[in-house]
Amino acid sequence: MKKISNIYILLFLLLLTTGIQAQNTTPLIQSKLDGTVVDDITNQPIIGASVTIKGTTHGVITDAEGKFYFQTGQKFPYTLIVSYIGYKKTEFIVEKNPVIINLREERQELDELVVVGYGTQKRKDITGSVASVPKANLSQVTSSADNLLRGAVAGVVVTQSSGRPGASSSVRIRGGNSITAGNEPLYVVDGILIYNDNANSSAGVTYAGASVNVLSTINPADIESIEVLKDASATAIYGSRGANGVVIITTKKGTKGQDNISYQGYFGFQNISKKLKLMNASEWASLRNDVQASIGQAPSFTDAQIEAFKTSGNYDWQSAAFRTAAPVQSHNLSFSGGDERSRYSVSAGYFDQEGIVLGSDFKRISLRANYERNYSQNFKFGVNANYTYSLANGVGTAGSGRTPNPLVAAVLTAPVVPIKNEDGSYNVTNNPYATSVNGYVPNPINDLENTTNETNLNRILTSLFGEYKITKKLTAKVAVSGDVLNTKQNYYAPSNTTTGAGTKGLASVGDRLVGSVLNENTVNYNTNFGESHKFSALGGYTLQYTKGEVVNAGANTFVNDANTYNALQDGVAVKPYSEAYESVLKSWLARVNYSYKGKYNFTLSGRADGSSRFGAESLWGYFPSAGFSWNITDEEFANNIKGVTEAKLRITAGTTGNQEIGNYLSLASMGSVNYSFGGTLYTGIAPTRLANPDLKWEKTTQYNVGLDLSLLDRKINFVFDVYYKKTNDLLISVPVPLSSGYATVLQNIGGVENKGFEVGLTTENLKTENFAWNSNIVFSLNRNKVTEIGNGVNEFFPVVPNGSLLQQQPVIVKVGLPLGTFWGYKTNGIFQTQEEVNTQPKINSLANTKVGDRRYVDTNGDGVITALDKGNLGTSQPKFVGSFSNTVSYGDFDLNFSFQGSYGAKIFNALNQQLEISTLGTNAAATLNDRWTPTNPSNEIPRATSSPLGIVSERYVEDASFLRLKLITLGYTLPKSVSKKLGTKSVKVYVSAENLITWTKYTGYDPEVSSYEQNNLYPGIDFGSYPNSKTFISGLNVTF
Amino acid sequence: MKKIIITFLLSAGLLVSCTELEVTPESFVTEDNYFNTQDDAVASVTAVYASLSLDPGEQSLFGRNLYFLTDMASDYAAAGVSATNPQVRALSSLTHDATSDRVQVAWRQIYAGINRANVSIDNIPKVSGSEVIKTRLINEAKFIRGLLYFQAVRLWGGVPIVLHEATSINLGDLKTNRSTADEVYAQIIKDLTDAESLPATYSAADAGRATSGAAKAILAKVYITRKDWPNTILKAREVINGGYGYALFEDFQDIFTKTKKNGKEHIFSVQFEPNQAGNGSSGSTFQATSFTGFTATEPADIISDVALFYDIYAAGDKRRDVSYAKQLLNPTTGTLYTFPKPIFKKYLDLTNLATPSNVAINFPVIRYADILLTLAEAINEQSGPTAEAYELINQVRRRAFGKAITTPDVTVDLVALNQASFRAAIQEERKKEFVQEGQRWFDLVRWGTLVTEVKKVTAKNSVSERNNLYPIPQSERNINPDGLPQNPGY
Repeated sequence: MKKISNIYILLFLLLLTTGIQAQNTTPLIQSKLDGTVVDDITNQPIIGASVTIKGTTHGVITDAEGKFYFQTGQKFPYTLIVSYIGYKKTEFIVEKNPVIINLREERQELDELVVVGYGTQKRKDITGSVASVPKANLSQVTSSADNLLRGAVAGVVVTQSSGRPGASSSVRIRGGNSITAGNEPLYVVDGILIYNDNANSSAGVTYAGASVNVLSTINPADIESIEVLKDASATAIYGSRGANGVVIITTKKGTKGQDNISYQGYFGFQNISKKLKLMNASEWASLRNDVQASIGQAPSFTDAQIEAFKTSGNYDWQSAAFRTAAPVQSHNLSFSGGDERSRYSVSAGYFDQEGIVLGSDFKRISLRANYERNYSQNFKFGVNANYTYSLANGVGTAGSGRTPNPLVAAVLTAPVVPIKNEDGSYNVTNNPYATSVNGYVPNPINDLENTTNETNLNRILTSLFGEYKITKKLTAKVAVSGDVLNTKQNYYAPSNTTTGAGTKGLASVGDRLVGSVLNENTVNYNTNFGESHKFSALGGYTLQYTKGEVVNAGANTFVNDANTYNALQDGVAVKPYSEAYESVLKSWLARVNYSYKGKYNFTLSGRADGSSRFGAESLWGYFPSAGFSWNITDEEFANNIKGVTEAKLRITAGTTGNQEIGNYLSLASMGSVNYSFGGTLYTGIAPTRLANPDLKWEKTTQYNVGLDLSLLDRKINFVFDVYYKKTNDLLISVPVPLSSGYATVLQNIGGVENKGFEVGLTTENLKTENFAWNSNIVFSLNRNKVTEIGNGVNEFFPVVPNGSLLQQQPVIVKVGLPLGTFWGYKTNGIFQTQEEVNTQPKINSLANTKVGDRRYVDTNGDGVITALDKGNLGTSQPKFVGSFSNTVSYGDFDLNFSFQGSYGAKIFNALNQQLEISTLGTNAAATLNDRWTPTNPSNEIPRATSSPLGIVSERYVEDASFLRLKLITLGYTLPKSVSKKLGTKSVKVYVSAENLITWTKYTGYDPEVSSYEQNNLYPGIDFGSYPNSKTFISGLNVTF
Repeated sequence: MKKIIITFLLSAGLLVSCTELEVTPESFVTEDNYFNTQDDAVASVTAVYASLSLDPGEQSLFGRNLYFLTDMASDYAAAGVSATNPQVRALSSLTHDATSDRVQVAWRQIYAGINRANVSIDNIPKVSGSEVIKTRLINEAKFIRGLLYFQAVRLWGGVPIVLHEATSINLGDLKTNRSTADEVYAQIIKDLTDAESLPATYSAADAGRATSGAAKAILAKVYITRKDWPNTILKAREVINGGYGYALFEDFQDIFTKTKKNGKEHIFSVQFEPNQAGNGSSGSTFQATSFTGFTATEPADIISDVALFYDIYAAGDKRRDVSYAKQLLNPTTGTLYTFPKPIFKKYLDLTNLATPSNVAINFPVIRYADILLTLAEAINEQSGPTAEAYELINQVRRRAFGKAITTPDVTVDLVALNQASFRAAIQEERKKEFVQEGQRWFDLVRWGTLVTEVKKVTAKNSVSERNNLYPIPQSERNINPDGLPQNPGY
């Protein structure tokens, strides 16, 4: 590294010298000027800024310390023009020598160029609601790009499904629009349109468990900027994919004039942030005795044994499942720069995170090359190429209703059962409280450690473009891009694991290849009619073709566990599976902008999409939008309003669509079933779905009114938006008479409404020569409501794919209520006397209610507790969310800290429910120590029983409100003199902590959880999701 | 520069015209490209049979869901502690209502099977191939359709009669109103009469398909349910004397032994095979699935009252220890385990206790012993206990006690009964013979003794006259309230 940097510095100096030499002209009068250009907020010198004397061609470029020097014939005072990419071009009147020139970053300005769909626009001219993710947010420790959106932008709610490395997230922009189809926003990565469907990282391998986040294939360190398009005026250009909002990700490009090598790296460790309170061996033994007594059996443990468990024979299965100080590291090296005609950025990244749960980790190697060249004055071309390989080892599923994964199984294992044998091997034979299968009892720690559950992702994302200026006003652009995602999953459960025991080893492999080719052809026309009328137009035609192929195979009954998944032929094959699908999307798009004197801006945009996913009768959908914005401060009457620097009003309306409805759903399908004749299985073909030739996109109409306000010379910047979204034609499996032979048909029939408001506030709280403090506050509130389900149906219970939850039906979709509403009983204490049992309402399906059982509220007063007494227990959608981020700099130190919070959301804590059901064989929550007994008449915890019935009640629908110190980072930048001595341009070291403190009433591992990932029908269920971790890291950023 | 522009425009045109919006699926067939060949017809009828034994994502009709309605809700069985579905428990205590998910799922699975049969019957005529085979396949589909309507009419009374496949998603086209029970029975008799022309036997590879004997046997059951004694006698005698070769197994256990599948006593059975080549949930899911291992934990399916239903078997009656297990050998420990209460055993594969829900034991829809008892009952109802009637019931009894079937045996043979006591004897015999065979509920309803018999079990004292029919599923009535009036009492 040292060698490289020395050579590099040499080259750099050479360049600098030639640069200065080139600028040497012969002045008439010799006068000198020494100056420094610095960032006006951070006071950091700006390297490579161009300084020109106004009215001359005389210009220089600042050096590595931001300094410049003139010998000129000009006399004081004269004007300098200072410019640097990303900063506002500034004119500065020089009156004396030397000078310090402050440059202000363009980001805060209305003149800033904002990336919008198929182009850029000045923020001042924009009519739509477009927000940028603050730079500080882009430097978080995370494996996936979508996590960078968390708390960054008003109106965007990011919920990670779990704390597992590489875990998926669900991203909702202004609430979920769809009931059954996709709700994730559209991602546009360097012009490539990607729908983040995590199903793409699954090849259908049995027991593989939660999927890997597909967006983890984009290295967050490569990201230059992220914009979020929220309203219809901004997203209608994406037509049938715009309804859920659009996230535009731009990766780092080279800049003209400076070559940089930069290294960014960190190392850290993670710990579980919280453990559940479970029973110890002594407490559990006494519980088991009580359960035995409740079914008339003799106790299993004597009082002496129970006492003895207090000192020996207690096994903490929960702690055994977790790692302590699980390491995480990341290294990124990038080369970037450019000259007059070319710009490049080449980078390589390595990320390696061990999970806090045994057996889980995530590794990624990413390579990127971005290149752009001006071939001639009129023609420019470029390429953005990205390759990523990642390997995730995950926690699989165990496949039973009570224990959906080994983590839950560990928590539920009786604490008197040893984890390991005396020889250090895992105890897989001795557990009298579990059923032995082929001689093995479940040992979840063994399952975690020894089950192979890999997901390998290989992704190539590449786009090429050429741009040709036909005339000064007319530009044409052609882009072709390819996205290839290959997923290979490997699974092997040895014969002594829970999933492998029944079949003497279980192996499964799967492969999915999804390829997408996108061609976009656009034409841009820009013109002015006189001084006052500015006009621009965009037109285009695009075509996207996607093809996917899945194959998986498995085997079991292996002789031994030596070859695992790589020798399926050594076992007994299970039925293989293969599938292929393709889809085509053709689009025409157009946008027209008109601006009058910069005061009144109009945007009309729209797209026509033809999609192969739609039915034959409705192949094409049309999505128009209109927007208007008014720069109030440009009006004469507004000139004198004190304190108001800028004010802008935005009004937009439009229609967008959602085509994430799946492939082929309009066709009548037939599926295979098996039946045996003569002991041999034969394949039968039966109809599974009726055709719906009218099947089409889901349609969202959105209205938005926004106000952008900058006060006190932009010390306070305020963005306020109110919106209303109405989504119709939602794809719903509408119930039809079962006597037809079908349960449901897919129809565009449902409706959902979202309304809310968002506030973004950035402030410059303090600024002195050495000290600066800036804040960013984001607040959003969304109200979601189902308005129609169809065929006169008012409600339905989504089928939760878990044996226990499926029967409990914890979630309802009901007209008038938000999606993700929990439905269950209100509790009413405990039956304390036989008289209460005899006279008070009891659950009809539970025969033999006894004293000590839980009581529920008979809401309809019919004297019996039935399903009719269930009611709304709250929704998993928060009432509001917010974040508060701060950047403080003092001299060479900088401190970033951000709080994130959510209020009013509920979580159905299914794990706690399982832990509070007493059985003879599983561990229980410590709360059951306070269970009802004749001598302890608890009114909260019922008596010990052996009844495994789970009942959805308000006890398990918990408040998930939280406030979290999400990130705190302290950085130190070495003084220029020191870093120069080290042969570098800049050196920064930092330490940081993530999830340091969380304030919440939630009793589970973490209130940010969703066991069923991106699913919109039953979000907010916590059934033993992988817990969140506290992360501490220290890092180093060096630029050479 | 010209070159650039040309290259530029060419690349633009490259992809524009090459793809169409209509895509053809490659991984599943659509109805447009099906029903062309005889193989298509065969596979469509295989799917009709599969509706009896397989419903991915749900327990199967004859493997489990009918059991709740025809056995668990009846007197001898009940829901144990391990039954986690409150709806199952409600059925067990007869407190269920029209929202019962098990009632709904049985209704759905019956009609899904009827629809598959309709699809086959509507489309097979248009495929190419042997007319003989095509007629046979259509008659097989009619047999299953008749069998399913027979279940439906006994569970719910007059149900909607749907005889053609659904082709549009228009709600008006998908709705069908209730018919009367007589109309449903007329349709059943029509289908089963057509099915009488099925082959009497098949090759070993096709064992398990519906036969003419099976059609006549089900017809006998239909007629006895209708109290049409002459036709019952006619059809039962045709089964016995028609040269089909049916006979009782010498050993009662053989009926439920996987190596004796489709044997001489089995007239029609739902075929179950364990997970072969990943064939999901095709396994039988009776008691087997609720086998909770060698623990004291009560399974999901239990005997409701040991004294009333276990202790009643006379000494030497082999049916008790085939139907129930008080003790089982634990293969892991090699010791005999005693259960707190006898567990159901007919469908428990003792050689495969590790995956008890994947057994290869068939479910006997109708077996020869049923025909013997049906004929005996019909003769007794028509003309009192004749010598033929005695011989029929005594053959079943002799086999139960392991005696020579056709040799009179004073130790077990019934003698000297009048019509009423012979009727009572038949009823007692059926109770002991058909544990977990989907007969008990229909027998009690047929005899008009449902309420009196079920009431004898304390936990089931909610039973009332309404229970002679199950409620039409509420979800069904929500969509078509006028066309589907509810049964009384719900």
